[in-house]
Amino acid sequence: MTSENPFRVGLETERAPAPCVFVIFGASGDLTRRKLLPALYNLAVSRLVPAGMSIVGFALTELSEDEFRKNMHDAVAEFSRRKPIDETVWSDFASRLHYVSGKFEDQSNFGKLREKLEELDRTNGTRGNRIYYLAVPPSAFRMVNDNLSKAGLVHDPDDANRYSRIIIEKPFGRDLASGDALNADLHRVFHERQIFRIDHYLGKETVQNLVAMRFGNAIFEPIWNRNHIDHVQITVAEDIGVEGRGKFYEEAGTTRDIVQNHLLQLLMVMAMEPPVAFNADEVRDEKVKVLRSLKPIRGEDVARLTVRGQYGPGNFAGKPVPGYRQEPNVSATSVIETFVAMRIEIDNWRFAGVPIYIRAGKRLTKRVTEISVHFKEVPHALLAQQGPVDPDVLAIRIQPDEGIGLRFVAKVPGPTMTLRPVTMDFRYGSTFGGSGPEAYERLILDAMLGDPTLFARADEVNAAWRFITPILDAWSKAPPPELPGYPSGTWGPAAATDLIERDGRSWRRL
Amino acid sequence: MEAAVKLSVDQVEREVAHLWEEEARKSGAARVELLTLVALVSEPQLLERAEKVLADVVKGVPCRTIVAVWRDGAEPAITADASLHRVAPGGPACGDAITLEAIGEAREWIPGNADRLALSDLPVCIWWVGDLPDHDDLFDRMVVNADVVIVNSQEMDLRDLEKLSSIAQRSRGRYALADLAWARLRWVQDLVARFFDDEQGRACLPGLERIDIEFSPRDGEKDATSTRSGLLFGWLAHVLKLPTDSPQWKRGDTWAEVRLGDVLTRFEQRPQKGVRPGGIVRLAIQCKTGRFEIQRQEDPQAFRWSREVPGAPTPPQLLRVLSLDEPTLLLRCLERPKRDPLLETSLQVGSRIVRPVAPRLSRLPPPAPTSS
Repeated sequence: MTSENPFRVGLETERAPAPCVFVIFGASGDLTRRKLLPALYNLAVSRLVPAGMSIVGFALTELSEDEFRKNMHDAVAEFSRRKPIDETVWSDFASRLHYVSGKFEDQSNFGKLREKLEELDRTNGTRGNRIYYLAVPPSAFRMVNDNLSKAGLVHDPDDANRYSRIIIEKPFGRDLASGDALNADLHRVFHERQIFRIDHYLGKETVQNLVAMRFGNAIFEPIWNRNHIDHVQITVAEDIGVEGRGKFYEEAGTTRDIVQNHLLQLLMVMAMEPPVAFNADEVRDEKVKVLRSLKPIRGEDVARLTVRGQYGPGNFAGKPVPGYRQEPNVSATSVIETFVAMRIEIDNWRFAGVPIYIRAGKRLTKRVTEISVHFKEVPHALLAQQGPVDPDVLAIRIQPDEGIGLRFVAKVPGPTMTLRPVTMDFRYGSTFGGSGPEAYERLILDAMLGDPTLFARADEVNAAWRFITPILDAWSKAPPPELPGYPSGTWGPAAATDLIERDGRSWRRL
Repeated sequence: MEAAVKLSVDQVEREVAHLWEEEARKSGAARVELLTLVALVSEPQLLERAEKVLADVVKGVPCRTIVAVWRDGAEPAITADASLHRVAPGGPACGDAITLEAIGEAREWIPGNADRLALSDLPVCIWWVGDLPDHDDLFDRMVVNADVVIVNSQEMDLRDLEKLSSIAQRSRGRYALADLAWARLRWVQDLVARFFDDEQGRACLPGLERIDIEFSPRDGEKDATSTRSGLLFGWLAHVLKLPTDSPQWKRGDTWAEVRLGDVLTRFEQRPQKGVRPGGIVRLAIQCKTGRFEIQRQEDPQAFRWSREVPGAPTPPQLLRVLSLDEPTLLLRCLERPKRDPLLETSLQVGSRIVRPVAPRLSRLPPPAPTSS
C-alpha cells in the first residue's frame, strides 16, 4: 500500500495497488473472456494497473502463450466497454499475459505455476504478491484451493511484505450446510481477510450510490424507518431466459442464483444502520446485522409468504420464445423456479412491521432492477377532495437507466385543488455523462488494493443461507406449484400479485 | 443550442420559463440544473470558442450558462439572449443558455446582472476565458459571489503564476480556484507518484540530483519555461521540500536551468507534432541510486513510463494519455468544486521559484474585498 508516498498526498488516487500476479483459473472460460480480461484491460487503459503486474491464465486447454494472447485480444475487442481496442495499450498489456495449461487435479501443474510465478517475481518485480481468481465451477474450488496450499503458493496472511488473495464467484454453496462447508474449505488455506467473494452487484455505481444517498444526505436518514416507511419493494427482473445455462439453472434456480446473493445484498444496503466508518469491517458488520434480523420464513409460513413460478412459452419483444422446460439441458418435468416473490420482515428497531416485498425472475416483462421505498400516507387527508392522495415513493434504479426518482404529489394548475403525482428524476447518464467503470473493474481494483468492503464476508454468506435454506427445504418437501406458472413476457405468476395485494398494496409499475 | 431571442435582462427569467414550458410539451424533458456557469469572455474573438465549450459542458453537467461579453460603445446598455442548450440538435434540452452583451461602461453592470440571473441556492462558477489582465476590477467583483473560479494558466505568461497564487490566497476559502492547465497535469502527477509507490522507489529520493522537464513551447516562446511546467515544478518542489529561497537561474534560447540546493532542474523546449503548447514531452528524475522517466512517444498520446531502482525490477510500461479537450477539463473542474490546497501550494511555490526569470506584474491586485 502506498499511503506513505508523499507524491500521492492530495491526488485523486491516494492509493495505488502494488504489482502482483493475477492468476485466473479457468482462463479459457466464458467469464474470463466476457468479464475478467475486458475489466483488466480497461484498468490498464485507465492507467490503474501497476507496472510489472502480470496475468497468468491457467486452464485445461492446451494453448501457447501467443495463442492465449490472441484469444484474449479477440475477447477484449468483442466485450470491452471501450471500442475499438487501443493497440498501443494492448501491446503493453499483452506482454504481461502468460498461460499455463493443465488439469487442476494434477499437483505437478501447480509446480509449473509456481515456477512461472517466481520467474515473474524476478523479472517484473511482483514480489510474491498473488491474486487467484477462481473462474471455475464450485466443484473445482476445493481442488484448486488444496493444490495452491500444497504448492506453497499461499502466504501467511500476516506477512507484511507480500500477499496472497483469492477471489471466488458465486454460488457460495447450495444451502446452509454446503455454504458452511465451502467456507470451511477456504478457511483451511486462506484467512478470511484473504478471501474476496465477488458479488458484482456491489460493484455497481448505483448500489454504492445508495450508500452515498442514505448517509451523505441529512434529509433521508430521519425518515428511513418504520415511522415513515410503509413498505419496500425490491425487484430484480430479467427479460431473458436461461440463455444456454439450462444445466446450471437446473441446479440453482432463481432463489440460489439471484435472491441469496444479489437481492439480499440490495436489501442489506437499503436497510443497514449507518456504519461507524466506510471500511470493510464496519460496513459488513452492519450489513450482516440486517440478515440476522430477518424474520425466519419456516413451515407453514413458506406457502403464505413466498411464491415460486416457472416461465412458460410466451413472447419476448414480439417474438415467440420457449418455456423453461423447452430450453436445452432442462428436464421436461423440471420444477426449478425461474421466478420468486417473498414478503420479508426485518425484526429490528428501525424496520419492525415494514414489509419488504421482493421479486426476481427470468423472462419477465422487462429488464429492471430497482429498490422502491414507499412512504406512508399523509396522516390527515386534508386535500383528499379529489380522492386519496398517492403516497410518496423514492425509487432507486440499479439498472438500466441508473438513477433515483422521487414521486410526490403536486397541485395541478387551476382553480381547484386537484393533486397529481409528479416525479423528480436524477439520472446518472444525463447528470454525469459517459459510462463509469464496469462493476468487475471496480471490484478487481479493490481486490488488488486489498479492500474487501464491497465483497461478501463468510458470516454474510452464512446468514443469507440461514434465511434461505428453510424456504428451499419447505419447497422441496411440498408438492410443486402448478407450473409453468407464468407466460414469458409477463410479471410472473398471479400468486405474486396476490402476495402483495392481500396486504392492500400493489407492485409498482416498472 | 437553438436560435436565441433578444431581450432586456428583466425579461430573461420569464423567457427561460416559457422555453421550458414549451420544451415540456414537446419532449417532456425534465428541467434539471446543477449550477450556474458564468463565462467572462475577455476578448470578442474568444466568444465562439466559449459558446462551443459551454454547449458541450452542459451535456455533462446540466446547468444555466451565462456568457458575458462586452464591446466599446457610447451608450451604456446590457442586452440579453435566452435559449436552451440541447443534448443534440433537435434533442431534449439540458440547460439554459443566456448571453449578456454589455456596451461601453455597462461592462461595470455585468456582475450585478449575472448575480441576478444566477440560479438560487446552487453553486456559481466563473470561468474567465482567455488571458487574465494583471488586475481587472470586473474579475474581482465577479468572484465575490462565486463558489468556483476557473482560469487557464496555459493562456497566461509565466509571471501570471504569481497573480494566480495571489488570487487563490485572497479568496480566503470563499471560492475555490481551479485551473484547466492544472487539470491537464493530473496524469503527470499520477505517473510521477507511481515511481515512488514502493519503499525502494522512495529510498532513492534523498539522493535526488537532477530533474529534466521538456515541454512543447508556444510560438515564439519567450519565457524560461511554460506556465504548466512551472506549475508542475512547483508541485515537485513542494513535495520534495526543495529550498526555494534563493533559486539560481541560468538561461539559453530554448532552455533554462535552476538550482535549488543540491538539485538542478533543466527546462527545455521540445516541439513535437500533435502536442499542444505547454504539453509535457518528457520528465526525468535522476537520483544517485535510481532513474525515473516519463517519455512521450512518436504517437503523441502514448507515453513510456520507466524506472531503474535497485532491488525492484520494473518493466517499462506503455500508457495512453488522451489529450483532454477544454469541455472535459472544465467538467473535471466542476466535478469537485472545492478548494484544491495542492494547486494553491504549487502556485505559491512555483511562482516563488520562477520570480527571478518572470517579469513582475505591472500592477499588483488590491487587497481582498472584505464583504460582498
